[in-house]
Amino acid sequence: MRVSLEWLKDYVDIAVPSNELAELLSMSGSSVDRVIEEGKGLEGVVVGHVVEVRPHPNADKLRIAIVDDGSTMRKIVCGAPNLKEGKKYALALPGARLPSVSDKTMHSATIRGVKSEGMFTSGAELGVNEDTSGIFELGREAPVGVDIRKALSLEDVIFDLEVTPNRPDCMSMMGIAREVAALTGKTLHLPQVEVSEKGPPIDGNARVMINDSAVCPRYTARVIKGAKVADSPLWMQRRLLAAGARPINNIVDVTNYVLLELGQPLHAFDLNLLGEKTIVVRLAHHGELITTLDGVDRQLDDQSLVIADTSKPVALAGVMGGGDSEVTERTSDVLIESAYFEPTSILRTSKRLGIRTEASSRFERGTDHEGTKLAAERAAWLMSELSGGVVAAGDIDVYPNPISPVSIDLRPERVNQLLGTQIAKNETVEILKKLEMEIEDNDVLKVRVPSFRRDLEREIDLIEEIARIHGYWKIPSALPAGGGMDAGLTIGQRLEERVTDSLSAQGLMEVWTDSFMRVEDLDRMRVPQGDRLRDLVTLVNPLAETGEVMRTTIVPGLLRVAARNINRGIKDLALFEQGRVFFAGEPGELPVERQCVDILLSGEKGTYGWGGDEREVDYYDLKGLVENLRAALKVKDLRFEAGDCPCMMPGTCAEVAVGEHTVGYLGRLHPEVADAFHVAGEFYIAELALEPLLDASEAGHEYRPLGRFPSVKLDIAVVVDEELAGSSVGDSIYRNGGEFLQSVRLFDLYHGPQIPHGKKSLAYALEFASTERTLTDEETRVELERIIDTLREEFGAQIRGREQDQGEST
Amino acid sequence: MDVRQELVKLAESKPELAYLVRESLEAVDRSGTLLEIEGARLAILGKKGRVSEIFKHLSEVPAEDRPEIGRVANMLRRYVEAELARKSEELKESDAEAMQKRQALDVTLPGRRAPVGRKHLLTQVIEEVTSIFISLGYWIESGPEAELDYYNFEALNTPAYHPSRSLLDTFYIMKNEPDKNSPDDVLLRTHTSPVQVRVMESRTPPLYVVSPGKAYRREAIDATHTAMFYQVEGFAVDRGIHMGHLKGTLEVVARKLFGSERRVRFRPDFFPFTEPSAEVDVSCHVCEGKGCALCKGIGWLEILGCGMIDPNVFEYVGYDPEEYTGFAFGMGIERIAMLKYGIEDIRLFYENDVRFLRQF
Repeated sequence: MRVSLEWLKDYVDIAVPSNELAELLSMSGSSVDRVIEEGKGLEGVVVGHVVEVRPHPNADKLRIAIVDDGSTMRKIVCGAPNLKEGKKYALALPGARLPSVSDKTMHSATIRGVKSEGMFTSGAELGVNEDTSGIFELGREAPVGVDIRKALSLEDVIFDLEVTPNRPDCMSMMGIAREVAALTGKTLHLPQVEVSEKGPPIDGNARVMINDSAVCPRYTARVIKGAKVADSPLWMQRRLLAAGARPINNIVDVTNYVLLELGQPLHAFDLNLLGEKTIVVRLAHHGELITTLDGVDRQLDDQSLVIADTSKPVALAGVMGGGDSEVTERTSDVLIESAYFEPTSILRTSKRLGIRTEASSRFERGTDHEGTKLAAERAAWLMSELSGGVVAAGDIDVYPNPISPVSIDLRPERVNQLLGTQIAKNETVEILKKLEMEIEDNDVLKVRVPSFRRDLEREIDLIEEIARIHGYWKIPSALPAGGGMDAGLTIGQRLEERVTDSLSAQGLMEVWTDSFMRVEDLDRMRVPQGDRLRDLVTLVNPLAETGEVMRTTIVPGLLRVAARNINRGIKDLALFEQGRVFFAGEPGELPVERQCVDILLSGEKGTYGWGGDEREVDYYDLKGLVENLRAALKVKDLRFEAGDCPCMMPGTCAEVAVGEHTVGYLGRLHPEVADAFHVAGEFYIAELALEPLLDASEAGHEYRPLGRFPSVKLDIAVVVDEELAGSSVGDSIYRNGGEFLQSVRLFDLYHGPQIPHGKKSLAYALEFASTERTLTDEETRVELERIIDTLREEFGAQIRGREQDQGEST
Repeated sequence: MDVRQELVKLAESKPELAYLVRESLEAVDRSGTLLEIEGARLAILGKKGRVSEIFKHLSEVPAEDRPEIGRVANMLRRYVEAELARKSEELKESDAEAMQKRQALDVTLPGRRAPVGRKHLLTQVIEEVTSIFISLGYWIESGPEAELDYYNFEALNTPAYHPSRSLLDTFYIMKNEPDKNSPDDVLLRTHTSPVQVRVMESRTPPLYVVSPGKAYRREAIDATHTAMFYQVEGFAVDRGIHMGHLKGTLEVVARKLFGSERRVRFRPDFFPFTEPSAEVDVSCHVCEGKGCALCKGIGWLEILGCGMIDPNVFEYVGYDPEEYTGFAFGMGIERIAMLKYGIEDIRLFYENDVRFLRQF
C-alpha cells in the first residue's frame, strides 16, 4: 500500500523524520519496502497538451502527437493506448531526468523514421504511481508547459508498505495513523464530518432490503440529490494519485478517497437507474448475468452475493459494480452504499470469477462492521461539498443482528511466560490502551477489542500486540535449557550422507534436477507399457514448463543436464543425483516416494591431468563407482547379473541385486534413447534404489586383525568359454579358496593369438596368508591346486602356462 | 719429491723394473671408467698382476738388489692402490651428479590431479545448516513431498479459501472439488512445515527437530522463482519455551551462517501457524549494513520466517498449549546460498552447468 506522508499528517502529528518513521513501522509489522521522495531528481518534465494525433507512416501501433509544450509545438511519437487528442499528459523534453527510469538524461530519438522531440511518460516513470499501462494523464485544468513537479505538487514522501493479511485495518490511512499514534504516543485526529442534511428525508427516496443477513449483516445507505458530476479538485486528485488510484470524477473519487482514508469500501449508484429506487441484497440466481464495470459479462452461480434492484443485479457485492447503474456525467442523484459483507463469501466470489479489487481485498479480510455509518456520512459530506448536491436527511441502516464486541481475558504473567520478558502489568495495560482497547483491570485483564481489529480473538493475539508495540528488539535472547534426547543423526541418515560423500569423493559432480517429468520421457526411454515406471503420479494442474507427472526415474533429468552441458561445450561428464522418485499409491493412499541414486558418465576420463592419462570412459568405470559406493555403504552382497533394461544397449546392461531385491541397473545407454534426448555419444548410466542398499548395510561390521606373517602372492590365468560370466570364475576362486585365501583380484581380460577362438583368458592375482604362521610353499601349492581343480570341474577351464595339465586331464 | 717421481726415478735405475713400472703407471692413467679402473687393479695388483710378478721373480735377482726391488714394488702397490681409489671415488661422485641432473624436474608444471567431484552447493548449505542445529541438540526428521492438504494447510491453521490453497498457487495430485478445500486433497507440499504436524502427532515433547526437504509452488519460473525449491524447517517444543529462545537460537544460526559480527533483527510478520510471528533479517555482510546492491540499499538481508507455534496447531495434534509451548522457523536454502555467494539467478542451481557446480 502507498501511504502519503502529507495525507497521513491529517490524522496524526508526526514529529520524527520520515526514515525513522519508516523504521518504526517496519519494526512493528507494517513493513516499509521503499520510501519514495516524490519528484526528487525529476527534471525537464512538463504538462503537454495534445493538439492533434496523426498516424505514424511506418508503424501501425505508433502514432504521432502534435503537442503544445507551452512555448512551441513538438512532434512526439507515442505507442500508448490512452493517447487522445485534446488531453494533457506528462511530457519529458530532451535533456529531462527521470530518476525512476535511470540516472541518465533523456535525448530525442528517431523512432521508425520519425524524429520524436521528447516522450510522454507513464506514472511509474514519473515515480508517482506503479502504472505502466499507459502514459500519465493530467486533468483539464493542468496548466500547459508548467513543470510537472509544480503541477502535481510533487514534494510528498510516499511509504510503499506491505500490510500483513491479518491486518485489513491497516489498509487505510486511518489504520496506519493509529499505528503511528500508538508507536509515537501522539494523539489521533478523526476525519472531519459536518454533514448538513438539506435534502428531503431519505425514506421515500430509497429503500434497502437484505434477503440474506448471514452474508450481508449490515447495509448503510446515504442519498445525495442534485449532484453535478465533474472532475475532483486537484488536492483530492493528487492524494488519490499518491495512493495509486486513478481520478475519475468527483462522485467516484470520493468513494475511493473514503475507502483509502477509512478502509471502508463504498459504492455509488445512480439512484435514478435503480428500479423502484430499491436495493435488494440477495444471492444470485443460478446462471444470472451481470455486466460489470470492466465491461465483462459474467455468469453467476447461486452462491454469489449480488446487489440488485427489484428486477436485476446491479453490482457484484463487495467486488465490483455493474455497468447499468454506473455514475456518469448525466447522474444527479446518488445512492452511497457502505456495507459489511461476510469475508469468506467475498473471497469465494472474487476467486471464482478471478476479480480482485481494492474493495474485495478489504472485504475478504474483514472490514469494520461498526464503521459503515461514519464512512457513509463522510462520503455524503464530501460529495455534497464537491458536487453541489444536497444530502438527504437521515440514512438507511439495515443491521438486523448487531455483531457483539469481542472481549478477551489476558493473564499478564502469561505475556511474560510466552515472550520471555518482564513487562510490568501496568505497561501491558498502557500498550493495550494505546491500541484503543478498553480494559477492566483485574488479576486477569478483561480486554474489549475495538471493532476494526478483526484479527484479535484470543489471548495469544493480544500477546502479539504487546510484543509488537513493546518491540521485538527488547525481548532478551536466550537458548533453551535442553536439547533433545535424540539429538544427532541416525545411522540411516549418516549412511545417506555417505552416498554423496562417496560419489563426490570419486570425482562425480552432484546435480539437482526437477522432480517433474513428462510422460513422453518414458517413451523416449523405451519403457514398455505396464512397466513399474509407468505407475505415474499425475498433477491436476501442471505448469507447461515443468512437466505433467512426478518423476519415476531420474534418468531423463540427468540426460537433460548432460544435453545442456554438452551444448555449452562441456563434454566430459561425471554426474550423480540423489533424490526422490514417486509412484502412484494404493487407492486412498499417498503416492509412494523412494530415494534413488543415479550416475551418468560420458566423454573422457582423467582430463584433469596431462601426459596421456585421458581415455574414453567405459562400463567398467561406471561399475567401479558402484562397487566403491557399495564398499562405502558396507553392503556385503551386491550382485551384478546380465540384464536387459530396454533403455540400455543390449549386452551392456547389468541388473544389480542385493539379497532378494533388485535395486537397479547399470550399463550403456541405448543409442536410440540418447537420440531421443538429443545427446550424442556414449553414455553410461546407473540407477539404484537407495533404501534396499541402506537396509543391507552392515555398518557396524567387525574389524579383521592384520596378518603378522608374510603373505604369498600368486597369479593364475584361467581360460574359459567366451560366454561364461566372468564373475562366476572369481566367485568360484573366492568360494573354494580355503582359509588362507585373503584376496582375489582380476587384473587382465585377454583375447588373442594364444587363446583358442571362442575362449577368453581371465588373469587373477591371489594372495594367501595365515594368521598363525608363515605358509610353506607346499601349503600354498595345495591351496592353488584345489582352486584349479574346481575351476576345471565347474567350467572346464584351462590354466595358462600349465600345458602339462592338459595332458594330465585328457 | 712425490711418490710418482721417485718411482720413475728408481725404475730408471733398475732396468728390470722400468718396463713394469711404466706400464703400470700408464694403465692407471688410462683408466677413465669404473670398469677400466677395476681392470687396471687386476692387471697391476691382482694375483697374477705385475706387482705379484715382481715378487715371484725376486729370487732370480742378485741378493743385494732384492731389498731395493722389494721396496720399489711395495711402493708401486701402495701408489696404484691409492691412485685407483682416488680415481674411482671421483668418478662415483660425478656419476651421481650426472644422475641427479638427469632426474631433475620442472617443478613449475601443473600437477596431475585426480578428477575431484563436488556436492551440489545446495547440499553443502543444507549440511551446514543442519550441522549447526545438530550441535544445538536437534535431530533430523523428514516427511512426504506428496502430502495431504490436512498436514500442509488444515492442521497448520490455514484458513479456508486462503489464496495458497488454490489450483492457481499449489500443485495438486488429487483435488476433490476444484473450488473447495478438503483435508484429503493430495498436493505437493508448499513448505516443509507439515513435518511439524506429523512429528508432533507421533511423538511427545521435548522435540528439537530440523527437517530439510523439497517443497513446490506453482510459480512462473524466473530469476527469483522456481516451481521446486528447498527449505529447512525447524521447531522446538518443550515446557517453558518462549520467544527469547526463538531469538537466541536463530541469532546463533544467523551468525554461524553469515559471520559472527553480524547483527540480527526480528520484524513482526504474519503466518497462519505461528503467533507472534517474525521475519529475521541479518545485517548485510557485503556492505556491513551501509547499503549495497545485494541488500538493495537497505543494509539488511531477509533470511527466514519464524514464530511461536500457534496454540491452534497444538490443538490439532492434541498438545495442551498451557503445558507446552514452542517455536518454529523455515528458511529457503536457495536464498541462503544466493545471499552467501552473491548468486543472482535461482535457476543456476537447477541448470547444473558443471562450470557452476565446480566453483563450490
